[in-house]
Amino acid sequence: MKIYNASEYSGLDKSKFTLVQMDTVLHDQKFETKPVGFFKDAMQRFKKNKSSVVAFIIIVIIALFAIFGPMVSGKGFNDQNLDHMNAPPKIPFLANLNIGLFDGGTVLTNRRVENLTDTTQYPEGSILAVTNRHFVNGVEMCDVEVDYYEFNDIDETYWFGTDYLGRDLWTRLWRGTRVSLLIALVSVAVNVVFGVVYGSISGYYGGKLDMVLMRITEIINAFPNIVVMTLFVMIFGTGLFSIILALVVRDWIGTARLVRAQFYRFKDNEYVLAARTLGVRDRTLIFRHILPNSLGPIITRTALAVPAAIFSESFLAYIGLGLRPPEPSIGILLSEGQKVLLYYPTQTLFPAIIISLLCISFNMFGNGLRDAFDPTQRGA
Amino acid sequence: MRNYILQRLLATVVTLFIILSIGFVVLRLMPGNIFEGYDELTPEMLAALESKYNFDKPIIVQYFLYLKNIILNWDWGLSIKLYPNMPVWDIVAQKIPVTLYVNVYSLCISLPLGMLAGIVMALKKNSGVDYLVSFLVVIFISVPSFIFATGLQYFCAYKWGWFPIIYDPSAAGMAKFISLVLPILALAFSPIARVARYLRGELAETIGSDFMLLARTKGLTEGQATLRHGIRNSLVPLMNIIIPMFTTIMGGSLVVERIFAIPGMGNLMISGINTSDHQVTLATLMFYSVISILTILIVDLSYGIVDPRIRMGGKQAV
Repeated sequence: MKIYNASEYSGLDKSKFTLVQMDTVLHDQKFETKPVGFFKDAMQRFKKNKSSVVAFIIIVIIALFAIFGPMVSGKGFNDQNLDHMNAPPKIPFLANLNIGLFDGGTVLTNRRVENLTDTTQYPEGSILAVTNRHFVNGVEMCDVEVDYYEFNDIDETYWFGTDYLGRDLWTRLWRGTRVSLLIALVSVAVNVVFGVVYGSISGYYGGKLDMVLMRITEIINAFPNIVVMTLFVMIFGTGLFSIILALVVRDWIGTARLVRAQFYRFKDNEYVLAARTLGVRDRTLIFRHILPNSLGPIITRTALAVPAAIFSESFLAYIGLGLRPPEPSIGILLSEGQKVLLYYPTQTLFPAIIISLLCISFNMFGNGLRDAFDPTQRGA
Repeated sequence: MRNYILQRLLATVVTLFIILSIGFVVLRLMPGNIFEGYDELTPEMLAALESKYNFDKPIIVQYFLYLKNIILNWDWGLSIKLYPNMPVWDIVAQKIPVTLYVNVYSLCISLPLGMLAGIVMALKKNSGVDYLVSFLVVIFISVPSFIFATGLQYFCAYKWGWFPIIYDPSAAGMAKFISLVLPILALAFSPIARVARYLRGELAETIGSDFMLLARTKGLTEGQATLRHGIRNSLVPLMNIIIPMFTTIMGGSLVVERIFAIPGMGNLMISGINTSDHQVTLATLMFYSVISILTILIVDLSYGIVDPRIRMGGKQAV
């Protein structure tokens, strides 16, 4: 193929040429969709993860119950009624369905069959089921399941039953959930804020300051968690505030290290240098330019720290360092229920279900967030 | 390497010393007199008791006496309320074996079970089995061990009568094991799930690699290839997640021991706290500190042996 020089075709008449695309439309597309930002992108990925969405919905439902539950029952969390001790759960609507759940049933063993028709002993409609008929010395005996409420002529119904002081467990359970969630969320929030500031400073400035700050975390980390929490609560008493702080003492270190690592990753990037050249102050650099990069891991860590905090709170309640009575928390309800587990299992059952649901949901929610923010980590 | 080990051992001793000091001060400064509520005590008897336990001396003197007794005679003081006048060390020495029994067993059974579950999940990746086991893993990791303990106690022991409801201290041998099966199981669920999740992640990556393809090409079955070549690489890091788990199990064991009335360290610590028997509480806290610090030490040292880069701790080679 011959290549022409400009001098070779300079003699050609310009008017003989026309531009090909003078009138036609260029088919270069404009973006019709909106640009997808970091959080929107993560949100889209999160929505695809069905189990995490379900977990999130469960958390919201439990939170709503924790907020409004205590108001609905019309009974206070500390209203004692010694005539109504250890009542079984009864929800009238479910009791009418005759499915054997929430019908206020208690089993009385070894009763005489001949007395079953005696309405002074067994008020009308109080007998739910008669089982295990057998003869003892010629007398026919049986086990009777009676409706505790009809049997004892109690007008109120306690949806989740009552405890050993006749306190309504529905109110106590949701109030306890509220307290436990409050403890968990506040302690996690404090630990994140503190950890982020500490980690940012350590990571951003580096050098000697970083070394000193990291040594401090190493020293605190050397103390075992159980011991730190126990001693802390023993010093500062079993108030709400001291329990919250006891959960923070050691947990912020993880956040601080995570943030520090993120700072080390991003602080030498060109955009940081550019911002610094433009005269941006350290504080703005830290919080506006570098920190947002680590938001994903921080949010994930926050979600995963909540179940750990709920666990620690229950742990403290179990070892006798829980909130002062009469304030309930899930841990306190569990440890109180544990004492009468074999006789009144429902007193343990409901708090156990709630704490399990909360822990599972927060873990799944956290895993979903992690996958959404950092797809490369998926399944790890 | 020897310097590194010595350095770490020294750090361990210092940490334990600090914990002991803080613990001592905290417990001594706790509000309330230990002899509160014993109204029949005359002032003379009180004074005699206080001088017996050194409570009449300034706290700094008490502290040094306490330290001196521990270092010179291994004397951890006397229990005051829980087991009046029993040396604390004797009580602790009685309680440690059963606690270790429960915890070591649950760690031991969780390793093979967790590995099995992890291998199954990795081999059947993204199948129904994988999803089912993954779901169970999330449940086992999330739900606290004392909830499992409560459930097992109610159903397996009370409802179905398979196991004793609480621990029988007189049992020995097999009977002892049977009466401890439920607490061991309750504590093992979470480590099983953690090992399984970890191994699944590691294996799922390894299975796609070239040397696994080679192993299959030379005629090994998938199972053989996984067992002989795949797992190898994950085993060393696995040890490093399993050992710190011991501390976590210990924490759960505190409550689980209470639930099953096992007369171990956890139960002792709770009783010590609730009866304000400070000498006992302090000794149990020290026990938990030693365990937790030792596990971290073992992991760090074993890392150093396996991977020489870590040994230096980021320092220049000496």
